[in-house]
Amino acid sequence: MKLGKEEIQKLVLAGLMVVGVIYCYFSLLLGPMGRSQEAARKSIEALGPTIAAAKAQIAKTAEVERAAPANMETTRQVTAMIPDGSPVAWFPPRVGEFFKQHGLDKISTRLAGEVVEKEMPGFRRMSWSIDLPKVGFVSFATAVATLENEEPLLEINGLQIEAGRDDIASQRALLTVSNYVKQ
Amino acid sequence: MSLRLNLYHEVIRAKERKRRDPLKLTLYGLAAVVAGFAGYYALQAVKLHSLNSELATVKTEFDNLEPQARTAKVREDELQTQLKAGTLLVKKVENRFYWAPVLEQVMQVVPREVQVTRLAGEITGEGTRRCALTIDGLSAGADARNVAETLRTAIADKISPQYKNVSSKFRTLEDGTEMAMLDGQQVPTATFAINVEFYSGEERPAEPVRRKK
Repeated sequence: MKLGKEEIQKLVLAGLMVVGVIYCYFSLLLGPMGRSQEAARKSIEALGPTIAAAKAQIAKTAEVERAAPANMETTRQVTAMIPDGSPVAWFPPRVGEFFKQHGLDKISTRLAGEVVEKEMPGFRRMSWSIDLPKVGFVSFATAVATLENEEPLLEINGLQIEAGRDDIASQRALLTVSNYVKQ
Repeated sequence: MSLRLNLYHEVIRAKERKRRDPLKLTLYGLAAVVAGFAGYYALQAVKLHSLNSELATVKTEFDNLEPQARTAKVREDELQTQLKAGTLLVKKVENRFYWAPVLEQVMQVVPREVQVTRLAGEITGEGTRRCALTIDGLSAGADARNVAETLRTAIADKISPQYKNVSSKFRTLEDGTEMAMLDGQQVPTATFAINVEFYSGEERPAEPVRRKK
C-alpha cells in the first residue's frame, strides 16, 4: 500500500501524539507516584527497627523493674542499717557506746573527712579518727573484732597501738575508720 | 461467462481508504494504550494508598511507643544506677579488710622475750588492698638480734597462708643500750622496727612487662 502525503502527515502526527502521551504518563503521572511509593516504603522500613527497638526497650525495662525488688533487697537491708540524721550527731555517740560496752570508757571521735562516692549516688563515705588513750591490747583487739563484725558499713583504714610511757600495762590506740552514710 | 462491471469502484476505494486511515487506527491503538496505562495507574494508585495507610498505622504505633520507650529508658537508667550502687556497696562491704585476724596472728607469734612498743598499720587501695604494718619493739635474750629475726620470720610465716605477697623486712635493728631482766637474769636487748606488707582482696593486677631498650 502506497501512502499519500496526507497519510504520512497523519502518521507523523499520530506518532508525535503517542510519544507525547507516553512521556506525560511516565513523567507526570507514574513517576511521581512511584517516588511517593518508594518514599512511603522507605519510611515504613525505617520505622520498623525503631519500633522494634522501642518495644525491646519497654520489655527490657519491664524485666529490670520485675527483677529490681529482689536485687535491691540486700541494698535495702544495708541502707536500713544507716540511721537518719547528720552522721556527726549519731556516729560518735554510737562508737562511744560501743567501746564503753567493751570496758573502754575514755574515747574521743572526730570527723576527719568526707568523700563523695561518684559511683554510688545516695551514699557518701565519712572518715573518722577515734582516739582511745588507755586500752589493754587484748580488750582492744576483742573490741576491734566485734566492731568489724557488728558494723558492716564501717572499715578500719588504719590503726596504731602504742605502749604507754607512764603506765606500761596500758596502751594508747588510735583508729582511722570510714563508714558509709546516706547522702 | 458473463461480464460484470463494477460501477462503484470509486466509492468502494474511498470507503476502503477511510477504513484504513492511519490516524484513525493510531487513535484506536492510542486509546487502547491509554486505557492500559490508566488501568496500571489505577493499580499503582491503590498500591500507594495501601502503602500510605500502612505508613500511617506504623507512624501512629511509633508515636505511641516512642514516649513510652523514652520513659522506659529513663526508668531503666535510674534502676540500673540504683542497682549498680547497691551492688558496689555490697561488694565494698564484702571486700572490707579485717584487722582483728591480723592482730590475733601478730599476738600469737610475739614471744615472751619481745615487747612490742608500737604497732601501726594502714590499708590502701580499692579491690586489691595493700596493708602496711609497722611493728616497733624491744627484744631481749642472750642473742637479742636473733630473737627479733625469729619474730620477723614468724610474722611472715603466720600471715602468708591468709594473704598474698607477704613481705617482712627490718627497717631498723640495733643493739639496745639497756639490759633487761628476764628469768631473773640480766640479758642484753635490741631495738627493732619491722615493716610487714601484704595484699588482700581481689587478685593483684599483673605488672606490665618492661621492654628492653
